[in-house]
Amino acid sequence: MTDIPVIYFLWVSAFLFATGLAILLLKKNTIFVLMGIELILNSANLNLVAFSKNDPSLQGLYLSIFVLVVGVCEMAIALAIVLQVYRNYRAIEVDQFKSDY
Amino acid sequence: MSPLVIAFLVLALLTCGSALSMLWTKNLLHAALAMFLTMLGLSGLYVLAYADVLAVAHLLVYVGGVLILILFGIMLTNQTDPATGKNHLMTRESSRLFPFSIGLSFFLGLFWLFTKGPWINNLPVTGESKLREVGLGLLTEYAFPFELAGVFLLIALIGATFVAKSHD
Repeated sequence: MTDIPVIYFLWVSAFLFATGLAILLLKKNTIFVLMGIELILNSANLNLVAFSKNDPSLQGLYLSIFVLVVGVCEMAIALAIVLQVYRNYRAIEVDQFKSDY
Repeated sequence: MSPLVIAFLVLALLTCGSALSMLWTKNLLHAALAMFLTMLGLSGLYVLAYADVLAVAHLLVYVGGVLILILFGIMLTNQTDPATGKNHLMTRESSRLFPFSIGLSFFLGLFWLFTKGPWINNLPVTGESKLREVGLGLLTEYAFPFELAGVFLLIALIGATFVAKSHD
């Protein structure tokens, strides 16, 4: 059974990073922007996992587990903030958040 | 081609295709569905990279947790169109040329960098599942960061509920 070269994982991860970045720049909706950030985080995770298989002490795998936890925390807090911002401005798109004073 | 490479190609196609459809669509709910498919393909890729612990955790966390959070976020922040009284969950976009060209140039640059890099060119992903090593490591060598991550998650969730409640 031949194994998959690391470079294939890196190509997929590069594609995911580029797509996440384009989503971040393109979309105006705040929740959409958060989804783009999740894509970027996961592309970094894929790199860590792909490289950690040639490392006997598995440091990349451990780091990717902690990245997962931090990503979830970020998402929960960010959605709570989005909800609060929506209550204040009655708007969800990033260019509509304008202060009155 | 070995069956492993074919499985990789199918999963990579699923991941990249649904990420691309996430970029292309303007409908927020379709994007959430596409993100679900992306995460499904990604966890398959983790399995192929012999990281089955992370694959299961990823599936549980993203499909069971984050996606539900996003759907609740979409439902709680919906806005009906005042002209028609309908809500198609469409998001506005800035001009497509600028973000697409930046994304494409980033992809081509990273692709070139990874392909030219002499350090990784023909390194195979080898080995078997490291489930036992990961479990032992998380409870011995990495026990403190692991507990810290748990406390961090607790603080973040309590903080999120506090931030999300109405402060009248």
